[in-house]
Amino acid sequence: MALMVGSICPAAGSLLITQRRILLANLMAHSVLPGLVVAIALEVDPSIGGLISGLIGALVAERLNQRFRGREEGSMNTVLAGFTALGVLMVPLLKARIDLESILFGDILAAGGIDLVRTGVAALALVLLFTTRYQDLVFIGVDPEGALAARRPVSQIRFTAIVITALVVISAITAVGIVLVIGLLCAPVLVHVERSTSLRNLILKSSGTGLLLCGGGMMLAVLLDLPPGPLIGVLCMVLLFLRRP
Amino acid sequence: MLTVNQLSFGYGQKLAINSISFQLKPGTLTALVGPNGAGKSTLLHLLQGRLPCCDGCVKCNGSVALMPQKAAIDWSFPITVQQMVKLGKTSRRRSKEGRSVEQLLKLVGMAGMESRRLNQLSGGQQQRVLLARALIQESDILLLDEPYSAIDPPTRAHLLDVMRQQAEVGQTLLVSSHDWGKALDSYDRVLVIDRHLVANGTPAQVRNTISDMDSVMGDCCG
Repeated sequence: MALMVGSICPAAGSLLITQRRILLANLMAHSVLPGLVVAIALEVDPSIGGLISGLIGALVAERLNQRFRGREEGSMNTVLAGFTALGVLMVPLLKARIDLESILFGDILAAGGIDLVRTGVAALALVLLFTTRYQDLVFIGVDPEGALAARRPVSQIRFTAIVITALVVISAITAVGIVLVIGLLCAPVLVHVERSTSLRNLILKSSGTGLLLCGGGMMLAVLLDLPPGPLIGVLCMVLLFLRRP
Repeated sequence: MLTVNQLSFGYGQKLAINSISFQLKPGTLTALVGPNGAGKSTLLHLLQGRLPCCDGCVKCNGSVALMPQKAAIDWSFPITVQQMVKLGKTSRRRSKEGRSVEQLLKLVGMAGMESRRLNQLSGGQQQRVLLARALIQESDILLLDEPYSAIDPPTRAHLLDVMRQQAEVGQTLLVSSHDWGKALDSYDRVLVIDRHLVANGTPAQVRNTISDMDSVMGDCCG
């Protein structure tokens, strides 16, 4: 489970960082919280609630970005804080029996078969996107206006990428939690982005590094008897210092 | 042939292009000149269909390609020169096999740099790559948005030489720039705009029409 999360998060992160949409991913990671709480309170699959809530967060942010053009970072961070707070408020309001700490920081040891299936679905969706739309993803990343002018389906591809990001985030929550997933989306990509000669190259290198990071983090956590999620989060930061300038 | 008739476009209430009409004949190299904010980029985007016309019409016999401004590209994206030029093929609407990436890179003076990453290139080299990417589309009409920005005189001369060769084989080129004075002699025709059409003719005709160019161009003309 940790190995799968370790490889798909950086793969999704490669796309988000090269398209300068990583803040949106962070926002979505936090926006899944209200949906998870509602779903658990209603005793339905938490991933469905999280997916809907994450997408609503992204749509709200996109809407507000048009109102605060040029100040998007501010409005997106406000939505991020708002959705996180809403999720926390919903726990007592809905009297949901939920371990907020494990959602925020992850609990890989509690992962079950359904979590593995969820991660597999996210991985499959990501592979499908990369294999069927690779050229468009490159075009949109390097020249978004040109891609629109060439009548590439930019909006559809961006929306698909948002949905898949939400799937990846939800699947990673069990392993590293809402707060720490952003580290796995970013760190392995940042290590390789300047030296990669193609998006494909970046995805493969980042996924490999993420895999080692999560595998190593899990083993270290067992050895040191520490929670794996926060330990992997710290390793993500340490990884950035290990990169040669 | 490209025919523009009474073309207007506005951003909200503000008119960026006001009732502009002109024709571009096949195999001509035309300069599009005007001060900053004159609507040069907007006009090029209208001609390519990136922006919808508010009023008037654009009639075009053939395909149109646009070489964008450097600022429109994310130069830090992980992509090589070769892959960047190949992206132009995605926009190509013709099925016929045109010149190869290697041939075009040689034409623009970038032979041997196929595997370089975009962020390892100088400003002039980046403009050359953008030109190669536009040329691979094999369009009938090529619009170039400020291809000379931040480049040295030899690179400018080389790009102009490539454009002249393209015009000689029948391609129609419209180049937005801040050229003025003798530099305009490199073109067959010159369009001067400042939201509306100020002048249209040969370089000599335009210079005669507008004796006080500083008043039109501000302090940005070369």
